[in-house]
Amino acid sequence: MTRIAADARAFIAAARTHLRQQRRYPTYFLGLLFWPVLLPSAWVLMGRAYSGNDPGALAAFAARAGSENVTVFVFVGYAMYMWLSSLLWGPGTILRQEQVRGTLEAVFLTPASRIVPLFAPGVTVLIPMSLSFLVMGGALWLFFGIVPPVAAILRAAVIVVLGVPALYAIGSLFSAAVLRFGEIGPIVQLVRGVFVLACGITFPVAMLPIWAQVGAWILPPTYIVDDIRRVLLRGAGLGELWPNLLTVVLIAAVTAMLAVLVFRYLEASARRSGMLGRF
Amino acid sequence: MTAPAVETKNLVKVFEKGRRTIWQRLRREPDRRERFRAVDGIDLRVESGEIFGLLGPNGAGKTTTMKMLATLLIPTSGTIRVLGIDPLERPREVRARLGAMLSGERSLYWKLTARENLEYFAALYHVPPTETDQRIAGVLTAVKLTDRAEDYVERYSTGMRQRLALARALLPDPPLIILDEPTVGLDPQASRDLRDRVRELRAQGRTVLLTTHYMEEADQLCDRVAIIDHGRIVALDTPAALKRTIRAEEVVHLEIGVVGDDAPMLDRLGRSATLARSERRNGTLSVTAHCASARDFVPAAFDAARSNGATIRHVEVVPVTLEDVFLALTGRQLRE
Repeated sequence: MTRIAADARAFIAAARTHLRQQRRYPTYFLGLLFWPVLLPSAWVLMGRAYSGNDPGALAAFAARAGSENVTVFVFVGYAMYMWLSSLLWGPGTILRQEQVRGTLEAVFLTPASRIVPLFAPGVTVLIPMSLSFLVMGGALWLFFGIVPPVAAILRAAVIVVLGVPALYAIGSLFSAAVLRFGEIGPIVQLVRGVFVLACGITFPVAMLPIWAQVGAWILPPTYIVDDIRRVLLRGAGLGELWPNLLTVVLIAAVTAMLAVLVFRYLEASARRSGMLGRF
Repeated sequence: MTAPAVETKNLVKVFEKGRRTIWQRLRREPDRRERFRAVDGIDLRVESGEIFGLLGPNGAGKTTTMKMLATLLIPTSGTIRVLGIDPLERPREVRARLGAMLSGERSLYWKLTARENLEYFAALYHVPPTETDQRIAGVLTAVKLTDRAEDYVERYSTGMRQRLALARALLPDPPLIILDEPTVGLDPQASRDLRDRVRELRAQGRTVLLTTHYMEEADQLCDRVAIIDHGRIVALDTPAALKRTIRAEEVVHLEIGVVGDDAPMLDRLGRSATLARSERRNGTLSVTAHCASARDFVPAAFDAARSNGATIRHVEVVPVTLEDVFLALTGRQLRE
């Protein structure tokens, strides 16, 4: 077995191990049933209360957001919010739990590549994330009577799949920071807050000042959420979105490489300071 | 002559004491933290096939040494060879050949079964898939946990978890195993059981390097022992040879009720034996004496006490142990 094959097997084993542990706490999945419905619904109802379904208000919204469909706009934004939250928190939290529990040293004693502890925990986030997307789709249909065309849903799924590596890489960058700082919760909260404000999660990016809009368009979530809205709300095809998608994939590659470099640097630092065994 | 399993030369690890605040870092204030040498120039040579013990009190530098050997810590200076490999240059090769049990029961996933734990670590140790089941069955048998393999680790006793941690260390079929305080927190039966497992490892031709602060463990289990204190090796030999260094056949512990100056009595006691330790607390003088014969020393001690108006309240005669060696070398007890 080559080293790459052995590390690939270790990666799968690590992902399966984390999923197994997640499954042993089934109540965790309960939250995935109500949050994806409650959070966006509250914003949709608030939007309706403000506009009173006034055509003028909806037209003003459409001028900024590209569609009058506030419900889908908000649900897509919140899907991104939950996705962001999971991928920013998930891998770092799992690595942190390993550090506190004492298993991190045991993992670092093995010859497996450091890519395994860095990237494998993120896999556990993908299943709950997919589940929350399904729940949101169900809520759109059941409570708001909206069913986007199947072709648009499939195109949105492709964008999600292409967007996963970028957010995954950002999450891994945070999980690398666990090795140096231990607790990274406040940093993650800050970054998530910035993303929510800047990336058009609950309101169109056009509402931001120009300088902030420039900043927003270097963040992968802005592209992903905008592309999903364009396919679901305006029926855009993947062909016209490829520059955005290519940008997201390139950002993913750069961020992933950065995460690996940061992880290696911080691991060496932790091996010098003894931080691996401390928390 | 075969290469040693472990060899270190002038190994040093320096840590900072205290903390440097973010404010101090932002202001680029000079780092005024005190530095201390957790490991201070250790030269070690562990031969293949032996059980080698690092014996010392808590904070002596045993675990730091182990972590440097296991690639978890980078030494400040000095050289290390583990199975002939430099862990700084080729850490992955060292990890692939080394079985390590460093954090004991904390190093396991309690929400998984023993088998699930071992399956995971087998993959991390790059055990070929075709050999994994057989390897897991072998290590479970070795630590006598086969019948509990499907139980969650959270339902195990501490001793069982320690054995499972040992099983995990055996997964890569390593020629060298390092065990950090393997019996700490175990009851006597579980400790005996684990020591038996360690002896079996030696019988299989493996090298075992362990740390302990239990002198009996080092005495009974190890072929050679390095006594370590304040990051330095203060003595290194077989347990029997170490005990011979204090030139006493027996150790006598005395508790003497004293009123007034105890110097004349100690002076007189010192003529009949080597006084390794004397400590006066609340009118009671505790003395540890190394002597050739307790039969001769004890009557002399009673005479000395009586002539100084003191009363011997308790006498205990014990054989020489590694604790006495440590006491003779450092003036302190292992437990202090």
